[in-house]
Parts: sequence; C-alpha cells; structure tokens
Amino acid sequence: MSIIGKYRTRMTAVCGPLMLSAVLLLTGCGAQKQEAAGKAEPVAIQAEEKKEEMKKITVIRNFKAGSLDPHNSWETLRAGVVETLVRIDENLVLKPWLATSWENRDELTWVFTIRDGVTFQDGAKLDAAAVKASFERGMAASENLAKALKIASMEANGQELTIITTQPHAALPSELVNPYASVISVEAEKKMGTEAFNNAPVGTGPFTVKSFTPDIEIQLERYDKYWDGKAKINEVTFKFNEDPNVRALALQSKEADIVYSIPSETIDAIKQDTELAVESVPGLRVHFLLYNEQKPLLQDVKVRKAFDLLLNRDSIAHDIMLGNGTPANGPFNMKLPFANQEPVTAFNPTEAKKLLLEAGFTEGPDGKLMKDGKPLSMEIITYKARPELPLIAQLLQSDAAKIGVAIKIKTVENADTYSREKKDWDILTYSNLAAPRGDAGYFLNSALMPEGSLNAAGIEINELSQIVMELNATSDLDRRVKLAREAVKIINQEIPHSYAVFPNLIVGVNKRVVDWKPGAEEYYMVTNKMDVK
Amino acid sequence: MFQLVKARMGQLVLVLFLLSLMTFILMKMAPGDPVLIILGSDEMTVTQADEAALREELGFHLPILVQYAQWMTNLLQLDLGTSYIKGKPVLDELMDRLPTTIELTVGGLIVMILISLPLGFLAAKYPGRWPDHVSRFLALIGASIPSFWLGLLLIYLFAFKLQWLPTMGKGSIYHMILPSLTLGFAMAAVYARLLRAGLLDSLSQEYIRAARARGIAEWRVMLKHAFRAALIPVVTVFGISIGSLLAGTVVIETLFSLPGLGSMGVQAIFQRDYPIIQGYVLLIGVFVVFVNLLVDLSYGWLDPRIRQGKGDAS
Repeated sequence: MSIIGKYRTRMTAVCGPLMLSAVLLLTGCGAQKQEAAGKAEPVAIQAEEKKEEMKKITVIRNFKAGSLDPHNSWETLRAGVVETLVRIDENLVLKPWLATSWENRDELTWVFTIRDGVTFQDGAKLDAAAVKASFERGMAASENLAKALKIASMEANGQELTIITTQPHAALPSELVNPYASVISVEAEKKMGTEAFNNAPVGTGPFTVKSFTPDIEIQLERYDKYWDGKAKINEVTFKFNEDPNVRALALQSKEADIVYSIPSETIDAIKQDTELAVESVPGLRVHFLLYNEQKPLLQDVKVRKAFDLLLNRDSIAHDIMLGNGTPANGPFNMKLPFANQEPVTAFNPTEAKKLLLEAGFTEGPDGKLMKDGKPLSMEIITYKARPELPLIAQLLQSDAAKIGVAIKIKTVENADTYSREKKDWDILTYSNLAAPRGDAGYFLNSALMPEGSLNAAGIEINELSQIVMELNATSDLDRRVKLAREAVKIINQEIPHSYAVFPNLIVGVNKRVVDWKPGAEEYYMVTNKMDVK
Repeated sequence: MFQLVKARMGQLVLVLFLLSLMTFILMKMAPGDPVLIILGSDEMTVTQADEAALREELGFHLPILVQYAQWMTNLLQLDLGTSYIKGKPVLDELMDRLPTTIELTVGGLIVMILISLPLGFLAAKYPGRWPDHVSRFLALIGASIPSFWLGLLLIYLFAFKLQWLPTMGKGSIYHMILPSLTLGFAMAAVYARLLRAGLLDSLSQEYIRAARARGIAEWRVMLKHAFRAALIPVVTVFGISIGSLLAGTVVIETLFSLPGLGSMGVQAIFQRDYPIIQGYVLLIGVFVVFVNLLVDLSYGWLDPRIRQGKGDAS
C-alpha cells in the first residue's frame, strides 16, 4: 500500500467514528436549536401576557377527527365552536342552550323559542330561519341525524321555530342534544364553499377555528362577541393522539394541560407531580354481560340470576379497573334521574349455587354441577377492543369454577358481528353507551327491543316492550323519568343483561387550569368559563 | 431498458388486477360490514330493518363477483369510490394521507442512510474488530426493539426528560425528527449488516485486488469499486421491503399523531370501509411495482454485467 493509501486508511479510521458521532449528534444539534426555541417561547409568551394577558390551553383527545363538518363530527362541538338548541348539564339533566324554551303543542308539533341576542361568529344574527337552514343542511349531510330528528317540516317565524315530526317523537329535545344537531351558519357556508367551511365551520360557540390540520390538531381562538360572555382563554390547541402512553407523557412534560383517557397504570406517576391532577368520573357507558336467551338453558331466569350473583362487581371496579370504574346497579349512570335506586347486587356464589340447584342442576361427585348427565358448561364471548372485558370474562370463569360451573372463553375480533352471525354462544361481554344524550330511550330501544340493532340475543320482554313504547310516545319529562325507572326495574327482575361496571372517564389535568371539570357526557370540553392561573 | 419498462407496465396491470380481486374477495369474506358504523348504532337508535335497508342500498346482498365488477367498472372510469364512513372520495383521502407517509418514509430513509452507511463501511473495513462489534451490537438492538417501544423511549427522553422536541403533531422539521429516528433506526440495523456483507464480498473479488494493484487510492477502491457492487443486495432488499415500509408505519403514525396511509389502512380494515381498503391496496401496489422497476433499472447501473434479456450475465 502506498504512503497515500496508508494515510487514506488512517483518515477513514479517524473519520469513520467522527461520522458516526456526527450522526449521533445530529439530532442533538437539531434538538438544541429546538431547545433554544422552546426556551424562547415561554419568554415570548410572558412578554405577550404582560401586553394582552395571552392565555393558552392545550387539550389532547384520544380519538382523532379528519373533518370538522359539525354535522358529521362531534369534535366541533367539543372544541367549543358550535352549540345545540338543548344541552345536558353536569347532572345530566336537559337544559336550554340556544333555545330558551320548548313546548309540545300536539303529538306532532314542537315549538322552540330561539335565544335572542346570539350572533354567529361571522356576525350574522341567530334566528329561527337560521336554525331551520342549519337543520336542513344537517339532515342532508347526515342520514343518521335525519333519522334521529324525524322532521317532516319546519316553519320559522322570528325567534320561533315550529317543527312538525313524521311521527310522535317525544324524545326530540333529547335528540337535539346530539352534536350532529349543532347550529351552523348556512350563509357562511355559501360564502366560503363547503370544503373551506368544513375546515373552519362558523357556529355560535365561544371559539372560532384559526386553523385545522386533519387528524392532528385544531387551533382555536376566542370569539369576542360570544353571547354568554367572552371566553377567559385566548387560544386553545385541541390535539388528537391515539396512543395512551404518549398522551400521558405529553401531560407530564407540560406540553398539554388537559389530556383525555389517561392509562390507569400511569395515574400514580402523574399524581406524584404536584402540578398535575387526575380526574376520574363515571361515564355514560356501561360494561355488561349479555345472555343469549335463544339458548334453552338461559331462558330460565334462575340461571341468569345465578350468573348475575357470580359477577364480582367490586373486584371488577377495584382490581381490574384499578378503582377507575363504579360498580353498576343497572344500565344507567347513577347520576341520571331515571337510574336504578336499588343497591348494587352483591357477589354471592352460595346463593348462585342454590339458584342453579333450584333450576334442576345436581352436584356431581367431583363438585361439578350437572343436568341430564351433562356438566354445566357455558361459552363466553369477549373481545379485546376494550381491554377490561376479557379480564371480566376471566374473573367470572374463575368464580364460576368454584361452584362447579365450567366457562369457556372465546375471544373474537368483532363481537357485534359474531354475536349476530353465530348462535352458539351463551354469554357475551359487551359495552354500550347507555344514555348518550341524557335520555333512556336510545339504550332501551336499541338493546332491549326485539328490533333493536344492539339486541343480538333476541331479547323480548313483553312488559318491558310496552313501557318502552309508551316512553317513545311520552314527551313529559317527569313521566319519561318514571317510565324509564319502571323499565329499569323490569330489567333487573328479568336480567336479560348483568350490568357490571360504569367505566370512569380518566382525565389528566394540569392544576394551572381552573373552573373546568370533565363531564360524564364528553360533549362540552372547551368552554368560555375555563381559565388558567 | 425501454423493453423492461414496457414489460413491467404490462405486469403492473396484471398485478393490480389480481391484487384488487384477491383483496376484494378476502375482505368480503371476512365477517362484518360497515353498516352499524355508518348508521352510528353506538349512539343512535337503529333498528335491524334500518340495517337491512342500508345493506341493500349499498349492494352488499349481491354476489361478490358482481360487486367486484361494479367496483372495477367505476375504476376503469378512474373513480375509486367514496369512503362509507367519512363520505369523502377515496382518491382525496389517499392524496391527503400520502404526503405525510412520504415525509415519514423519506425521513426514515435519511436516518437509515446516515446510520447504516458509516456503520456498514466501518464494519466491512475492520471485520472482527471493535467497529464491527459496535455495528453488530447496534444492529441487534435495532432489530430487537419494537418500534412502538423505541418511539416511546425517544419521546420519554427527548420530549419529556430533556424537553427538546415536541411529542406529537406536524408542522416543523422538529416534529419529524423523532418519528424519522424511530423508523430509520430499525431499518438501519438491517441495512448496515447487509452493506457490510456486500462490501466484504466485493472486497474479496479479483477486480478489487486488481484496482489496489494499480495503486488506486483506498477510498476510491471502497467507494467506486466495492460500494457500487455491494449496493446490489441492499437495493434488492429495499425493493422487497418498500411495501411494508409504506404501509407498516402505522405504529409510528399512531405514536406521533401523524395521519399517514398506514393508520388509514388499518382503521379502514377495522371499520370494513371497503372502498378505502381497495384504494389503499391499489396505491401501495402501484408503489411497490414502480419501486421494483427502479430497483431493476438500478442493477444495470450498479453492475454493468447485469443486462435484461441479453443472455449470459456472467
């Protein structure tokens, strides 16, 4: 090798590691610049704060939104851009919002009085004609909304909106809580064009969309002429991230102030940080067991009752959900006015065994329960999309084994499809939103009426069906509550389902955020009242 | 070369046809359909009659091949259909997602090149000595750490502990550093080892000895003579893995909130959004065929002994 060759070799030997170090440092260099920028930012914010008291909040949601079309996305309402005629309050009771009052003039006619003095974010006045135009747009854009509202015609007269429905529709005010029924400025959409409008919709809320990057974030800024008093925060960043650990890290790094759906295993670490808090509130969802009454064995209410007694609700709430669940005494969150008033069914394997013996089972020599020479064995279907459900199935399996009942667990990808297409399952672990708009009608109709889409087990309880039909025709709120309570009572006697637990909504909050609490309804996330210290 | 391109175009049509047919049949045979999601049954009261009506409206009751023929007829008119769930044209949806995927892939490739080239060269230059051991060690780590874990570790270090970089989102070059590192590091491990093996192989060839004997500078021997030939296995593996690279970034997309093609595809599969699945598979198919065409064309440049359709290549 020539001298130059040797020299080159040495150069390679020296430069090689140098290049490697350069690569490893590359991110460091970039990062240092960012660090400088990152450090500069708070200084800049502080400077601005002195001038205009600039207040910002960052919220991270666990589901992403690809569009802000208010009639096809809930995030627009959640982000405080649009509002509905009726809302539910923190006690999950219907309250006026853009409508100040409403009345049911006859079976088919509803009259809503639209709030005076409200302007859209483009300055246009909110009146009944604007609401009518918005509903027409909504029903054209979302077939679901059209089906839910059942509107035959509308008439606008000043601030009075008259709605004629296609059939008696007692739950109309509650259906109007649906974010898809948000009121938008159709005039603004005409000016902007649909595509631009769906990226920056114009509503009546306290915040307007400054920019929107689909599936990543919404930048919001305050609408100063908001009817209910301008927001205390100037700007909100509303981000989306589907990875629970990353969301938790974003809260811990103080990049985000409010983070939805924190994984329960990170709660302890978050609580150790004195600047952070974790809010855990029972939501409107319920995890439950669904019995397949098409199977002869499960047609006996004693058998269903036995499994109900085998469900250890306390252990599910405390051991499986680490305290972030509330044992359920019925389908509806206990806060709801029509929720079951009775205590939660206690775990009682002795009583369960007694019921099974009453139902004709006998105890075999090995302790296993038998009937007609066959051991009692059940197949329970579960799915992983909600990680607690397979664990609930395992808990039930182990508790049932103790009284001689064998349970086989089968995990499927899509429980909805499996439970409808196959008839051989016995029990399904399931989870539904039981009162999404603070009303019992949805769950009772969908999950417990024979034609409902969530009734894979073909449940048909005549007494219950009659009450639900009466509920569907009753608009008086007090009467509706009474009917829903009666329905719950029958459900708890007949046990078509065993309600296990109301999973909590776990939200991580930086303590600098004040006057804000997560609501069980998960609708009103960005408000004019929220503030920072 | 023109012949090769022409032949490949013919193959592309065939590949896409078979790919779309197979995907269509498989996804229709898989249990479930998007009807409940379209009707929003988890929040709206839906009856089984509503479901049946929508199934009929969408043509799900027709035989699979008839449904395929309908889809194909629209495709021939350059209409990929509309997403059932989002209501947006499939083409728009794909084009919205494509830039993020390309940014992420390019970022990952840059990191991969920056790590694997020096590591590969050093390992080949000093086989069995410490640079080789370091390279092997890093390759082992890169191949063993799953990307969701590496991504979380990087976020933990750079975003949470050091607070140098943002945890998620898009908008600046800084946002792309962590996702690119996560993607590039795992790839670099494999390519550094491939490059090392390729370099060692070509360095043992007669023509390298001849070049050295002619007194050509060592760096020139390495870069011009050995490196080009060593790139052939690297490029081949790259061609094979481009499909999984484009589609397989779903974990990284989820971690860093980057809406790319991977997460769109996975979501479409879970929701049974058939038009999106079909469009997605076609797009990835086109990419794979084109990248492999480029790979084949590059062989001729990397090693002039390789000629398409000219008989004995030795």
